[in-house]
Amino acid sequence: MLQVDQLTTADPKVSLQDISFQFDAGNIYTILGRTGAGKTELLRALMGLNPLVEGDIQLDGQSIAKRPVKDRSMSLVYQQFINYPHLSVLDNVAFPLRRQGKKKAEAQLLAAKMLTTVGLGDFLQRRPAQLSGGQQQRVALARAMVKKSRILMLDEPLANLDYKLREQLREEFPRLVAGNDDSVILYTTTEPREAMELGNTMIVMTDGRIVASGPPADLFAHPPTKDAASVISDPPISFISGFVRSGALYFGEGQLAPNNGLHLPPDGPVTIALRPDAIEPGGAFNATIGLSEFSGSETIVHLDFDFGRAIMLVEGIETFEAGSRLSVSIQTEHIMLFASDGQNITTRTK
Amino acid sequence: MNKFYHILKTLFLFGWSLFVVFPFLWALTTSFKDANAITSGATYIPWVDYEPSTQGWTSLFTTGSQGINIVGPFIDSAAVTLIASLVSLALGTLAAYGLSRFEYRLGFVKNSDITFFFISQRIMPPIVLAIPFFLMLKELGALDTIFGLVLVYVALLLPIAVWVMTDFFAGIPKELDEMAMTDGCSPIGAFFRVILPNSVPGLVVAGMFCLIFGWNDFFFAFTLTFTETQLLPVSIVSLNSSVTPWWSLSAFALISVAPLACVAVIVERYMSRGTMSGAIR
Amino acid sequence: MAEIVLENLGHSYLPDPKSEADFALKPVNLTWQDGKTYALLGPSGCGKTTMLNIISGIVAPSHGRLLFDGQDVTQTPTVERNIAQVFQFPVIYSTKTVRQNLAFPLECRGVAPEQIKARVAEVATLLDLDYALDMPARRLSADQKQLISLGRGLVREDVSAILLDEPLTVIDPQMKFMLRRKLREINRETGMTMILVTHDQSEAMSFADEIVVMKDGLLQQSGTPAELFSQPQNDFVGYFIGSPPMNMITLEPRDGALGTDALDLTKKLTIGTAGSRHQLGIRPEHVSLVAADAENIGVGTIKKIEHLGVDGVVTLQLATGVLIKAKTRNHVEMSVGQTLGVNVRTDDALLYIEGSLAHAE
Repeated sequence: MLQVDQLTTADPKVSLQDISFQFDAGNIYTILGRTGAGKTELLRALMGLNPLVEGDIQLDGQSIAKRPVKDRSMSLVYQQFINYPHLSVLDNVAFPLRRQGKKKAEAQLLAAKMLTTVGLGDFLQRRPAQLSGGQQQRVALARAMVKKSRILMLDEPLANLDYKLREQLREEFPRLVAGNDDSVILYTTTEPREAMELGNTMIVMTDGRIVASGPPADLFAHPPTKDAASVISDPPISFISGFVRSGALYFGEGQLAPNNGLHLPPDGPVTIALRPDAIEPGGAFNATIGLSEFSGSETIVHLDFDFGRAIMLVEGIETFEAGSRLSVSIQTEHIMLFASDGQNITTRTK
Repeated sequence: MNKFYHILKTLFLFGWSLFVVFPFLWALTTSFKDANAITSGATYIPWVDYEPSTQGWTSLFTTGSQGINIVGPFIDSAAVTLIASLVSLALGTLAAYGLSRFEYRLGFVKNSDITFFFISQRIMPPIVLAIPFFLMLKELGALDTIFGLVLVYVALLLPIAVWVMTDFFAGIPKELDEMAMTDGCSPIGAFFRVILPNSVPGLVVAGMFCLIFGWNDFFFAFTLTFTETQLLPVSIVSLNSSVTPWWSLSAFALISVAPLACVAVIVERYMSRGTMSGAIR
Repeated sequence: MAEIVLENLGHSYLPDPKSEADFALKPVNLTWQDGKTYALLGPSGCGKTTMLNIISGIVAPSHGRLLFDGQDVTQTPTVERNIAQVFQFPVIYSTKTVRQNLAFPLECRGVAPEQIKARVAEVATLLDLDYALDMPARRLSADQKQLISLGRGLVREDVSAILLDEPLTVIDPQMKFMLRRKLREINRETGMTMILVTHDQSEAMSFADEIVVMKDGLLQQSGTPAELFSQPQNDFVGYFIGSPPMNMITLEPRDGALGTDALDLTKKLTIGTAGSRHQLGIRPEHVSLVAADAENIGVGTIKKIEHLGVDGVVTLQLATGVLIKAKTRNHVEMSVGQTLGVNVRTDDALLYIEGSLAHAE
């Protein structure tokens, strides 16, 4: 178990602000945030690569905040494919085992086994430079896992790979990290879909802070704040300012009566979040079509309302002519309401 | 058009090569001439233009009034250059690694100031340093000794080593050191186990520069030695007296160039090899 | 602006290519209309970059011709082709302001100052960068910097096409949407042909009017996103387009037709060569999940549910052990181990023989 208390740093780009969290062994935590949210800084601070200004890190109840990097039982896979250029693939993976004091033969045997698991059994004697990007990242992953360290951290490991290679490694990921039941796995990414697919628990970061955490499906359905909601949604969620008056929701020239169990807050201004699936063709709202994009089996339509821009996700392949008018409806079960301080104030009766 | 350009290029390269190689050819032919052949003008082809003689070469290895003994100066030169280069490389590499990876601060002095301090030592003309060095070595009793020369040469070569290696380390991703530390190395262990093995091209370049500057230096070798210790450049120049033995001088010059030429050939393959590819995409 | 024609265009980096394998780009014939958006899509090393380099003039093709508006430009140097290019990483003059960045290409061509001023203002409006004109370019965010790279191409009025070499790689997912929309708007307003090179199928699908899918230097299929999605010509396109990839279910010949025990779906097609590989390709989006007791063509147990936000991907194990993936919006209500029925419209199940789409009679 890894416990972090009030972690604060003074890093040049983003500083961590008062981060407290408890990470349990055997869990995969995906840390989701945009570039510059402090994801990498968090991993580096845990690792001991960036200094702490304040706070404590405890592993199984023991403070490790002052331990040197090598004694923290952590391993890290970087976004860039970092391997030791002067060593063969086999020796790369055997390297950490040798540092643990294992005999050469034993280290190489374990390394070869791990490399077979990640699918590189045939490349033991190659140099990292002779492998493709995906293979190089597999070497880095094997080296990180072979140590059996308590904490395995992966910093946007797939970001530099081709789309399909990424898809394939995501699919394989649970199998690759199986057998790390005693470890905490931390995985950072900028892609909401990746975070939701891979994590048991998803942690959302913005500006050096943890703003939300929980099971991915729950977080997607009920993000606690506006910031968290905008980071999690892909395609982007649309925010519209409006107000509540005498039991109805007003925005621009539009108006919505609460239904589907949605409760409205007391009269006053609110921010209305329209998830891409909250808008459907046919209804009382008029919009100009800004752009229609085809994405797999779905059509993503950019709409310009008089109250702002929003994105609609339509199932199936449909053609929407850019520049033309379209009437749509807004599904209240997929909208969320946020107070002016950004807190989610959506309440529903089931 | 293309063809014309090609011919022009070839001609230029040929001309330039001739310009570069010519002094060596001249030295080579001259070393096999005797006094008569030399005074009879510029001739190049042995047995046709002149009768070759090995006098120039044999005289280098004969002692006494007839010969010039180059073995002593050769050994002195080699010892001074090698020791000074190795020391500079060792100290310079460590200094450069520190400068590229850690932040130092002493009042207003920062890393960049320290780097500049090293490099600035090569800014002033050597003549400015001659008298201070002379006095310092005199106080140490190290004038006219190999030890004294090594001290001076380390001072001269260290900036080169620091400069080249700082630049080289800056090109190695910091993540590689960090990776070694997460894999169980101490910071010093990371340097020796991971960074150093990947620095061979940088070390080779820095070493080359040290060897060239050290081996070819004439000025300090001349001002800081008298009779006991003599380095090659000084001995060559000392041949140039009232009657210059051009044949010996030529042979001598060729011998003094030979070690660097050998080093260059061996080392050339390291310089072009980019071993860092594969560390980071 | 120009129509671009690739006429039997191929390239080999070897002086004397003997076999197909020697070609980095095997000869292709393609016509790209003026004013449309195109995408070159494929994995690393598929030849898309070679093709882009040929169009921009960095590489002279070893075979075939390249025509801009009917004019042979195969040997024309890059500068004379009037091509604007945007690269993976924003290329900007970081010491200059946005205005100076945009004006630079015109200044280099000696355009009159008043004209430059007007043109820069025009392009800045197009890019929504009016407010930032006097800011130092280095202060902008990555997506704005990409817009400036693009703007430096747009200010020139003689540009025939814009080549985009994976320009969205360094942009965050949400910003990608905005930037992509901006690119499409610029395409619509200026009528400039845009060619995007990417490995990201979703990017290609949403950006391009037409996509060229490549693999190992060979053109796999060229068509509209809808065509590539619904009629992939071979198993590679089925795999590469769409996420998750197309389900491929092996069929066995039976009673003069083809079938599988996994699904009760028979394709009334004549069997190809005996012993050849027959597969049924079904898009996960076309697999609908129903209650186990409802009418269905097969029953399976849920092995895995992936939450992807609005949709989810459900992996089912069918009777014979065959796995099939379905994309659905109802994943939230399902759980692993549950038994569900599967339905697929006959038209949505495509037959592949030896990896190539068999055309129905």
